[in-house]
Amino acid sequence: MQLISLRNVSKVYPNGVAALRGVELEISKGEFTFLVGPSGAGKSTLLRLLFREEVPTSGVVMVNGHDVGRMRRKQIPYLRRQIGVVFQDFRLLPQRTVADNIAFALRVTEVHPREIKRRVAQVLELVGLTERATAVPSQLSGGEQQRVALARAMVGHPLVLLADEPTGNLDPVNASEMMKTLLEINHLGTTVVMATHAAHLVDRARQRVVAMEDGQIRRDELAASYSEGVVR
Amino acid sequence: MKPRTWAFCLSEANQNLLRNPVLAIASITTTAVSLLVLGVFLLLSANVNQITTNIESQVAVRAFFDKSTTQAQETAALSTVRGWKDVRSAHVVTAKQALAQLKREFGDQGKVLNSLGSANPLEDSLSVTAKAPVDVAPLAKALGKLTGVVRVSYQSEVVNRLFNLINGIRVVGLGVGVLLLLGALLVINNAIRLGIITRRREIAIMRLVGATESLVHWPFILEGLILGLIGSVIAAGLAWWGYSALYTSAARSLPFLPLVAPTPYASDIAGVLVVLGVLLGAVGFRLSVRRLARV
Ligand SMILES: Nc1ncnc2c1ncn2[C@@H]1O[C@H](COP(=O)(O)OP(=O)(O)OP(=O)(O)O)[C@@H](O)[C@H]1O
Ligand SMILES: [Mg+2]
Repeated sequence: MQLISLRNVSKVYPNGVAALRGVELEISKGEFTFLVGPSGAGKSTLLRLLFREEVPTSGVVMVNGHDVGRMRRKQIPYLRRQIGVVFQDFRLLPQRTVADNIAFALRVTEVHPREIKRRVAQVLELVGLTERATAVPSQLSGGEQQRVALARAMVGHPLVLLADEPTGNLDPVNASEMMKTLLEINHLGTTVVMATHAAHLVDRARQRVVAMEDGQIRRDELAASYSEGVVR
Repeated sequence: MKPRTWAFCLSEANQNLLRNPVLAIASITTTAVSLLVLGVFLLLSANVNQITTNIESQVAVRAFFDKSTTQAQETAALSTVRGWKDVRSAHVVTAKQALAQLKREFGDQGKVLNSLGSANPLEDSLSVTAKAPVDVAPLAKALGKLTGVVRVSYQSEVVNRLFNLINGIRVVGLGVGVLLLLGALLVINNAIRLGIITRRREIAIMRLVGATESLVHWPFILEGLILGLIGSVIAAGLAWWGYSALYTSAARSLPFLPLVAPTPYASDIAGVLVVLGVLLGAVGFRLSVRRLARV
């Protein structure tokens, strides 16, 4: 069984924009997939369908055996506990410390405090921020803030990590550090789907590339590069 | 939800209150004022009610018999009247008793009545008291229709005025109270809305990481309940304390005007105010649910 599968998925926003048109996509457990394509191609929309931020206009979106588009409202939180999400703009809580920001995800899902402590320490280690646990986001660099967001996404041990331009606000050094961590997370067994414009990161990683344009998938290659036919 | 999750919701609710202290204070103040006004009117209305009933029970309707009415007819009329359900008590006042009463009331000057000698210008009558002030007018009418009765008298003016006064107080009190409550509701609702707006990042993240909707809602429900509770406890306390003080001083200086005792009446009203306050908070939240869904 595929972890993620989209069958003939279309998405038309209320304003009439057709962001996705008949998308077919399968992603298996443990895969690393880049979503690339020009601005407005529908990458973010596709990711939003996966964690039920949006519902498809037609077609079926399956995640881990659940029909996400037709899922009952009550079940959405439980779907989201299996999905970690990272955005370009970090989305941290400014008044909370690094450790609190990460723990927040577990507190609102009623995990035992002792378990929270253990897991927060674990992910802090993973993203290399153990020393900054008591800092607040404004005291961190962009790269560090994005790593906090990544830690928060990972602390619930999700099946899949969705990253929407996670390096979009980072300088090249931090971006390549972040990329390294994402690949490491994937290596440890988490499925990763990452939308990006960072051609050099895609080219270096040699992973599956799904290229979109105008709401459709134009290319889907394993161990591929950002642009078609380019071997660097 | 687990106890520590309730604790989490409570601390989030507290943070909301502390982050927007001006609106929190405004909510509490308007709630307290509106409930206090409502409480004062309830207490006032209860007392006017009691005073009227007191006066009313002293105001008897008198039905005067024709001079030619026999004692048997009078007794028959008495038992008929006693059978009516709006009658509290009824008895016959003979012309002789009426004269004696008159002499007593006039005191020293009553001696002039002695000049009447054995002649008694007064008539026999039925003295009837009604169970409730409302019953007085219809009762008087019914008495007028009895055989042998020539005229009926009661202090209808006083009764009517008191009546209007009670109703006036009720209507005005309820109207003002309800208006103020609506105002308080608006302020609480705004406080919660502002809380939702200031916390929208947090709410979005909660949903993103898989918090249930009830966990998203509860901090705001608690915020409403806390605001309503604090406001109403202040109002209930002031109403209770103020009324008890008034009662004690009234009992000393106006012993002939017995007020309604603070327990259980005023304590019941205090309880009602607290319930209303909490309800206000709950409704204040309920009105913001749609806003919360759109964050
Ligand atoms: N909430 C929305 N309401 C209406 N239209 C939207 C909404 N979100 C996206 N769109 C439109 O849908 C299309 C696809 O947008 P989407 O954000 O998925 O593109 P993208 O590939 O992520 O682009 P980018 O690389 O710039 O992030 C665009 O035309 C966009 O304007
Ligand atoms: Mg996008």
